[in-house]
Formats: sequence, structure tokens, C-alpha cells
Amino acid sequence: MGATLTYENSLVRFFRWVYAGLERTIFMGIKFTFPGRFVNPLGFLGMLTFVIFIVLGITGALLMLFYEPILDRAWNSVQTINNTIPYGFHIRNIHYHASNAMVMLALLHMYYQYFSGRYKIRNEILWVTGILIGTLTILEAFTGYDIIFSERAELAISIAASLTNSIPILGPQMRDAFFGAGFHDFILRFYAFHVFLLPITLIGLMAVHFPRFLVFDVPMVMAVVGAIMLTGGVFPVDLGLRFDPSTPPGITVPEFYLTGLYAFLRTMYDKFVTGVAWPGLFIFTLLVIPFVDRYKKFSWKDRPIITAIGITSLAQILVTTYWGYYIDPDIHKALLERLVIDPIFFYTVMVLLVPLSFGFTYMMIKLAKNAEANAKLQPKKAGSKGAINISQRWLYTLFLVLLGFQVYLNIATYYAVLNGMKNYSLFLMGVIVLVFAALFHLYRYGRAMAKAPPPKPTAPPAAKPVPVSPKPAPGTPGPTAEKPLASPPPPKAATSQPPPQIPPQQKQASTTPQQSYSPQEVKGASNAEIPPSNQSIDNDLLRQQEINAEKSGIGNGKPTHRI
Amino acid sequence: MTQVPPNSGGKVSRRDFLKLMAAAGTVMTFAPFVDWGKFLPDPTGNVAGKQKLELPDGTQANVKTFEVNSSQAIIYPKTDDAVLNKESFRTWQFVRLPVELGGDKNDVSAFRVYSMVCLHLWCLWKYWPDPGRKRGECPCHGSMYDMETGKAFAGPASLQAPPSNVLPRLDIEIDSNGDIWILPPTWDPNKNGIVGYGRYLNV
Repeated sequence: MGATLTYENSLVRFFRWVYAGLERTIFMGIKFTFPGRFVNPLGFLGMLTFVIFIVLGITGALLMLFYEPILDRAWNSVQTINNTIPYGFHIRNIHYHASNAMVMLALLHMYYQYFSGRYKIRNEILWVTGILIGTLTILEAFTGYDIIFSERAELAISIAASLTNSIPILGPQMRDAFFGAGFHDFILRFYAFHVFLLPITLIGLMAVHFPRFLVFDVPMVMAVVGAIMLTGGVFPVDLGLRFDPSTPPGITVPEFYLTGLYAFLRTMYDKFVTGVAWPGLFIFTLLVIPFVDRYKKFSWKDRPIITAIGITSLAQILVTTYWGYYIDPDIHKALLERLVIDPIFFYTVMVLLVPLSFGFTYMMIKLAKNAEANAKLQPKKAGSKGAINISQRWLYTLFLVLLGFQVYLNIATYYAVLNGMKNYSLFLMGVIVLVFAALFHLYRYGRAMAKAPPPKPTAPPAAKPVPVSPKPAPGTPGPTAEKPLASPPPPKAATSQPPPQIPPQQKQASTTPQQSYSPQEVKGASNAEIPPSNQSIDNDLLRQQEINAEKSGIGNGKPTHRI
Repeated sequence: MTQVPPNSGGKVSRRDFLKLMAAAGTVMTFAPFVDWGKFLPDPTGNVAGKQKLELPDGTQANVKTFEVNSSQAIIYPKTDDAVLNKESFRTWQFVRLPVELGGDKNDVSAFRVYSMVCLHLWCLWKYWPDPGRKRGECPCHGSMYDMETGKAFAGPASLQAPPSNVLPRLDIEIDSNGDIWILPPTWDPNKNGIVGYGRYLNV
């Protein structure tokens, strides 16, 4: 093998052939980027959510091999998966924690897009499909934990069915159509929704929702997957008690994404208003918000009302989520007394949160603008933005240490599995995946370091008058600028010009103008083509370097098209 | 759409007529499929014709033998499937009322058949004939049901808005031998009610 190993061996040729064949497929319309350096994960939370969706699909398909959606077998089959089937415990825990992670990532993704103003100006379809996907994701997660048919699942099903029933006019028909009649139907139908109808709808919506620019950051993906496994090891999900209609169920609360709604229901006010109208209003508001937001600017600091609405919703979500969880621990009180939330108190708090959030937003914007103004007065610190620089020797040392740690973890996992310590082995596997994420990042870092061009002279060669070309030729300053996995940005300290004053979260989006919006500008940014400027050559070079940095780093640096 | 149609003296243009035909054809093609929405609800709860009121021991309930102030759990509609017969939503409480509520009469007014699914969170309540109780009680959260009407008078079920505070019921008939039959129900809040959701009390 060693002797015949050339760059163009048959395997490489085969991959090239496959890649050429993809030219005719839909995938060529998507620009996939594997970042060559650390990128802020806030920009690709959507991709992380999608990866978790795939994880859920795989683990869910495996669970389908043993799960039985039949009235008297559902709970028992889950018990068998959990206790008897080898690695069933692991698969089930990954599936459970991944579902929570997916909802959480989707929420973070939504709020990031909301506050950064990326939902408007030709991104409305992405936003609206995103909201629909989010709603269906919660339904998907909800049907998932219902088909275990534990006590808690039964309570959740009965609440869901009675809420559907409470819808005026069409409610009873909808209940009949979706739920069928009786527990046997509920489980079977929830199963059909959970494993096919909802996921296929989600995939269809995702096909619309996917932007053309995608970032697949392997270390971050592995870190999230590792974190899910680790959480599964530390907090393994229990089975719950099997539902028995003649035994009083314990007090249970729904999963975190529904406790907010549960708090509203616990006020015992009208079912339709608290359980259907309020969440419906919330979803409707999210759907229309990009059309309501008429600000011409993107930053949260420049859209005070919209930001304040977002902060209000976050405050109300946090408060109701906790309130839904909280149940008076005094067991001497009557059950109803412990469960029911005083509606006057509850709604007063909800209303009070509005001015509080608006005030908080006003203060934050003031502070942020002040900080911005102060930062402008100070001379910008030259060079690194606090990046950690490791020498090559330490890089190798660290690599070896992590590899050794991997060996140790593997042995430990082996013994954990042998001894039947399921949650410990799941925990260790999570750590292994996290270490892999670290290894991959180190590898990426080392590669970038090896390919980095030698440090430039302090003064750029600006002797001859450079003709300003209408389209800057790609790859002028560095030899590696064209390659997707290429060098980190050239050291900024080398240039005589101070870097432009852009706050750090806008750094990766540096080509998007922050001050004002005009269609031409956004269009230009999406192509990463800077119109020829008649500024000084120094400035031109700097911009060129920035563009190349964006190319090597995170694709075209077009934040609005990232999921 | 935005074009102003040429003034053709009130006549429909050939193109518009063609569009109308196409639209009508499309509507006609898909019209019969609207009724296919009936595929979704589960019709197995609908029973045509009256059925025997079968007690757990397999015999048909009879006015002469069924004791006053007592109850039995019955399955309706009964299937050949043991799993489906265990279904809460097919479980009914057949009650002969105590004397003070007229249980000593030998006609249908002495009997009640209520769904055993508690209207609160779907546990199974049952009838307690003890002196001082003589009511339906749910073991889970303590909802209590009045046996004469099926209305919840205490516990969380009593706090729910109508129709979710009155138990669904089955109508019965007694033949000349005293055997009791269940009449075909109409699953509607204004008639027999909906199991798990309740019934309007039409007085």
C-alpha cells in the first residue's frame, strides 16, 4: 500500500467520480462549508438542530424494532428495551435527551435569529417555515413521551384530547379524527403520528427551510452529541409507573417545553382559552413578527420595540416554565390546593412582566450603546481577539494526552458494559465523543497552522499603483485562499490599518452592513462581492483579506442564509 | 387577473369560459373525496340494534335478580378481543339505585348505566353502596358523582364546565321476561354523551 499510495489512488478517483456525478443533483445548489477554524455556534444552531433530528431518526428507528404500540404492551415493551435489550438503555436515553436537546436548540436558534434581525428582508419564508417546524417539533416530542403509556403519558394524552375537544365548532370532530376512540386508538395513532406523519411533514418543511449556505462544524456537532450522551448517563430517564386506571397517579409535570402551558392550565380557567388560545396567539405572533418589524436595521440595539417584545416573551416563558414545574411540596394540603394556581396572581405577574421587560430592554440598549461609544474612543487593541495560541510542540503533546485519555476511557467503558453499569458506560461514551470533538478541533487548528502563510512584512507592498479591478480576483494575497479548508485569517497586526469597528458578534457577518439596509447591499453581501471601492489601496487590501478570511472560515460569511 | 376584460357586450370571453370549465372540472374531480374524511374517526364504538346487558359472569342482567343498591362493571360494546375489552373507554358501571332514589321499582327508572371513565383525568370511578356514601367515587383525585343524574358534585370533575361534569350514560330497555337490553347509543353531548368528555344534562 505504502508504495502505491499516490494522491490519485483509485479510492480518491472514485470519490471524484461520485462528486462529479452529484453535479446533476439538488445538492449542488447548497453551499456546504466545513469551517477551518472555530466558528461561533450561534450562527449554525439550525444545523445543530437538524443533526439532532437525524440522531433522533436513527435511534428512533432502532427503538421501533422493539416497541409495541398496543394498549397492554406499550409500557412493557419500553421496559424490555430499557432493562433487557443490550444497549436498549443507551438508545432510549439518547433518544429521550436528544428530543429535549432538539427542542432547546430550536428555541435558541429561533431567538438568535429573532434578536439578530435575520428573519426579515427576503428571509420571511425561512422564518415562517421555521416556526411551523418548531411547533411540529414540540408535537413530535409530545407524542413521543406519550406512547410509553406511563401514568404521566396518560395524563398528558387526556389533557391533549380535552384541549382538542374544547376547540369551538370543529373541536369534537378534530378529536374524533386525530385521537380515535379510547386508549387503544390513542396509543396507536400517537405512534403513527410520532414515527411517520409528523417526521415526514417536518422533513418536507425542512426542505423549504434549508438555506443554500450551510455550515457543518464537526467538533461542535460531536460536542452536542457527546453532551447528550453524557446527560443521559448522569440523568437517565425513568420509565414512570405503568398506567393503571384504578390507582391514583402521582403528581407529574410535562417536559420542560410544555410546563409553561401547564402553568396556564393549572389556573383552571377555561380550557380553550388557557390551553389553545394563548399558545395559538403566541405561535401566531411569531409567524407574523417579520411582517410587523418595519425597522430598517438589523441589530437588536436598533429595534427597541421588537427586542422588548422578544425579551418579554423570554421572561414570560422562563417564569411560566418554572411555575409549571413548581408544585407546593406540603403533602398535608389537598391535591387541588397544591396544583391550582391562582389565576389573578398568575395573570398579574404575566402583565407585570411586560413593563419590566421593556424597562430592562431600554436599560440594556442604553448600556450597549454606551459601551459601543466608549469602545470607539479607546484605541483598538491590535491583533488577536483573545484567541489561544498553542505552539506546535504543545499541540502534539495535547493530542497525545487526549489520545491516551481516549484509550483509558475505552477500557473504562468496556468494563462498565461488562459489569452492566449502563448509565456509567453511557456517560463514558459521551465523554469519548466530547474528547473526539476536542481532537478534531486540535487537528483542524494544527492543519490551519501548517498552512498559514509566513508572517507578512509590516508595510504592505504598495509601491506600484494597483489598478482597481472591477471584481477582485479571488485568492490574491494568499496561495491557499481558494481551498475550502484553508488558512486562518492573516494576522491583523501585520497591517498598518486598524481593523474596522465591528462588535464581535457581527464579526462573522462582517460583510453585512449593519448601519442601513438597501436591497443592493444585501444582494452584494450574499455573493461576497465587494463593489470596487475608490479608497486607499491599504483599505482595499484589508477588505480583500477579510473576504478571504470569510471564505476560508465560514463560507461566504452570509449570516442571513444560515439555518 | 389584473387585466381589465375587454368590453364584449356582457358576454363571457372564450378564455374565461375555458378557465371556468377547468375549475369546475377540478372541483368535480375532488368533490367525492371530501367524504373520505370519515376514514379518520374510529367507528367501532357504534353499534346498531340493542344488545344484551351482559354481567361479568356472562349472564344477562334481569330486573328480578339484580339487587337494589348494587353495581357491576360491564363492557360495552363488547368485542372478541380481550385487549379491547380491557379498554377503559368500553367500561361502564351498571347501577341499581338505592331505595331512596327509587331503586325498588321494577322498571328502567331504577337502573343507571354510566361510563366509568372519570371526566377529570380518566381514572375508573366506581359505585359505593355503603350507607352515607351511595355515590360514584374516583380513586384518583376524589371526584364524586351523583347516581341519579350522573353529575359530579365534588372534586375536580365538578369544577369542569359542562358538558365535562356529567357522565355519559347508556339507555336501557326491559323486556317481558325482565331481561335488560342496551339501546343503540348516539355518541353526542346532547344525547348519550361522549366517553371521557361528558354530556349535557337536559332536564
